[in-house]
Amino acid sequence: MAESDTWLEHCGHEPDPQSDWVTGLHPMDVLLRGERLPHIWCQGCGLGTALTTFIGALQWLEMNQNWDLDKVSVVSGIGCTGRIAGYIRLDSFHTTHGRAIPFATGLKLANGELKVVVISGDGDIAGIGGNHFIHAARRNLDITVICVNNFNYGMTGGQAGPTTPHGARAVTTQYGNFEHPFNLPYLAAAGGASFVARWTVLHARRLEWTLREAMMHPGFSFVEIIAPCSTSYARWNLEGRGLDPQKLGRRGLEVMKHYQQVGKIAHDTHPKDAAVKVNEKGEINAIIEGIFLNEPKPEFRAAIENQAQVAKERWSAAKKALDRRPKLSGRTDFIDRTDVQLGGFGGQGIMSAGRIIGQAATIYDKIEACFTQSYGPEARGGAAGSQVVVAVEPIHHPHLIAPSSAIIMSQEAYAKYAPNLTADGILLIDDGLVTLPEDHRRDLKTYGIAATQIAEEFGNSRAANSAMLGFWAAIVGAVSQEAMRQSLADSVPPKTLEVNLSVFDVGFEKGLALKKDA
Amino acid sequence: MSDQGLLTGEHFLLGDYAAAEGAILAGCRFFAGYPITPATEIAERMSIRLPQIDGIYIQMEDELASMNAVLGASWAGVKSMTATSGPGFSLMMENLGLGIMLETPCVLVDVQRGGPSTGLPTLVGQQDMMQARWGTHGDYEIIALCPSSPQELFDLTIRAFNLSEKFRTPVLVMTDAEVGHMTERVVIPQPEEIEIINRPQVRKGDMEPDHFRIYQDTDSDGAAGTVSPMAIAGEGYRFHITGLTHDELGYPAMTAEASEWNIKRLVKKIRAHRDEIIQLEERYLDDAEIVVVSYGISARTSEWPIEQARKAGIRVGYLRLITIWPFPEKRIFELAKGIRAFVVPEINMGQICLEVERCAAGQAQVLGVHRLGGDILEPQQVLGAICKAAGRSDLLQTDLQNRQTER
Repeated sequence: MAESDTWLEHCGHEPDPQSDWVTGLHPMDVLLRGERLPHIWCQGCGLGTALTTFIGALQWLEMNQNWDLDKVSVVSGIGCTGRIAGYIRLDSFHTTHGRAIPFATGLKLANGELKVVVISGDGDIAGIGGNHFIHAARRNLDITVICVNNFNYGMTGGQAGPTTPHGARAVTTQYGNFEHPFNLPYLAAAGGASFVARWTVLHARRLEWTLREAMMHPGFSFVEIIAPCSTSYARWNLEGRGLDPQKLGRRGLEVMKHYQQVGKIAHDTHPKDAAVKVNEKGEINAIIEGIFLNEPKPEFRAAIENQAQVAKERWSAAKKALDRRPKLSGRTDFIDRTDVQLGGFGGQGIMSAGRIIGQAATIYDKIEACFTQSYGPEARGGAAGSQVVVAVEPIHHPHLIAPSSAIIMSQEAYAKYAPNLTADGILLIDDGLVTLPEDHRRDLKTYGIAATQIAEEFGNSRAANSAMLGFWAAIVGAVSQEAMRQSLADSVPPKTLEVNLSVFDVGFEKGLALKKDA
Repeated sequence: MSDQGLLTGEHFLLGDYAAAEGAILAGCRFFAGYPITPATEIAERMSIRLPQIDGIYIQMEDELASMNAVLGASWAGVKSMTATSGPGFSLMMENLGLGIMLETPCVLVDVQRGGPSTGLPTLVGQQDMMQARWGTHGDYEIIALCPSSPQELFDLTIRAFNLSEKFRTPVLVMTDAEVGHMTERVVIPQPEEIEIINRPQVRKGDMEPDHFRIYQDTDSDGAAGTVSPMAIAGEGYRFHITGLTHDELGYPAMTAEASEWNIKRLVKKIRAHRDEIIQLEERYLDDAEIVVVSYGISARTSEWPIEQARKAGIRVGYLRLITIWPFPEKRIFELAKGIRAFVVPEINMGQICLEVERCAAGQAQVLGVHRLGGDILEPQQVLGAICKAAGRSDLLQTDLQNRQTER
């Protein structure tokens, strides 16, 4: 929906920047941006009343509840109602169409001291911003959302919208609206709002009282204000049809009279039963008004703050573990770039193993390493692969070029990765899980260890990757034994530390022995 | 390790985590996001780390909301960030525009994957480079940085915050799935060793609210580019800001003159500071007849081919774009005068390649090296293009052996 720059002419207003619309004599003047008046709204529009009841409620809160109005932020989206943010002398934000609520969410979460009110139209809040509306209600964040519902898109010229009654006419529903509207209080309540109310602008005083209550409510409060659109909606429907289009004020008045006839105050009505009712011609014949819902419920920002203590304890624990890391001197000898392929199935710790090698190399041996993983939505038990490059010099291309060694823990991984190894590369297999086929590459230096079986003997089959790591460290020698043990210790749960280190040592010893034999 | 919950020292860190830690050290205390591969780990890290340092993490209902929440938080005075990938980046475009228009400091990390549409969720791409420049509607300038390692993802996230605060504008970190999902050594300095820039800001009581102009034009001809102090919510200035074209007060102003003032303000504050914002890495440019222009992961892939080509006697130079927007127009134009060709490796069908072509202005040939997402470029591809640009296709056969020598 676009802003119309012809709107002023359309409404018959002649803006005069020199005019002094705010005299300072009216008690509300202090909260109006006088230099911005006259406003763009049509004669007979309900937004003037919506604005003054809102200001009245704020002034009451200032007088009676010691509210500091410097702390109130007003956020609106796009549309006729969206312009309220531009007329009220408070911190005010005129955002994009539909996005007032998430903007307000950011404001309120970042500074809990702010009182944040969203005021916008039905198209903005329930149409383009509908998703934000229900999610904000669900969170029960302590903001107030005021939706001025005039049953159509006024600013763009009166198209039907998410609240246009079934059967009603609009510019784009000249044969009657074939869609069904939202019942906004029911939508808010179903979403999780803890305060829900509705008034028409006819009930200005009650509306103002409700706005006070809504803004004081500690949680997500929602107030629907039903207001006449004298120019567009009233033109096509019962209330204003046949009236002189030059006399918009008269049309607005007719709509108010209609509200008086069909409005019915019924507090605590179940929001489900609060739908705006129409007859078969789409003419409104009942508007239920009142406070439908006002219940205590845990507020969102408080819920976040409640977790801070737990989070800080977790940090302290992590910090202690990091502080315990020994400082090793690092290796000073040169090694060739070593590209390592790791393969197995999910759950074997193929990713952790690659990471442990990389961490050992960088943090403890103080050389370079780059660890990457084949990333995919693989479930546990599916194929898993990771790769790590270890080198003394900077690693530019991060992918393996022709891996010089591989740690293979499944038959599938063997089939996938063994062919990629460089000539004379080193292949390490868990020989309890991998059977070499007859056409196995003769050029490879192949070493086997029953890693899973060894880990099981120590009572934890999940430590099998540690055996492979020890085996690899001994045979390939690209990362020192001490660095590997330390990196392993950093990476496994404390309860399994002893088992993992023991299994690592068995793998290392076996690796050394086999290497000696070869 | 610092006691204030700040991670310091040497770590073997995932690129995405490095971005999160960089943000935290830069002072970011608000993150709003929506899960998306391959950027999710940034959100995950933030969800754990921010509550430890009195920050706020929130998962919003979508990326439209995420971007808006980030803007709202920034106007509440808190440094804020979001992170996403292709499809989410598209959704963020709407309110990236609002951020630019409102002159809001914030940072958006795009961990690029292959597109268009849902594309290749788990696999790399560099296909959002032009979207970063022109993705939201209207005229504007944008700042975008392009890291090629986890360390740089850390460093440039801090720089992104500093630039965004200094110029009161959203800054993009255009990384990719490869760098985001890569784990390498990341050295995190002590907080006092890091330069932190905070936004120009009026605080409560600094001046009469009536005298405050939220978009004050201090420079009459605008040539120097104006970045004026912002107020934040709750400090008594009772300011108004709007996504509509506006005047100094932030009030809507619906005229061609107002639009010219407004847009030139947004553009000039960045153009006038181009030299400060643009960061390049250059090597072997003095004698170069071929220049490889690249960025992010593709620049890394280009390093080995450049060394190989120089060994084979091709005078090839290296220009890495650490700042991608604003584009180093002058540098490319100057280089183009004295060289034979540019080679531009990137994981797309040629986006930055077009910019290089524009700036070379016909003075030098421009050869793109493309891979269409899914995987990073092969060093061999880049070497092939360098040889072709140098008229040395005869070298290509021998490269197959060279390939083994990188280890």
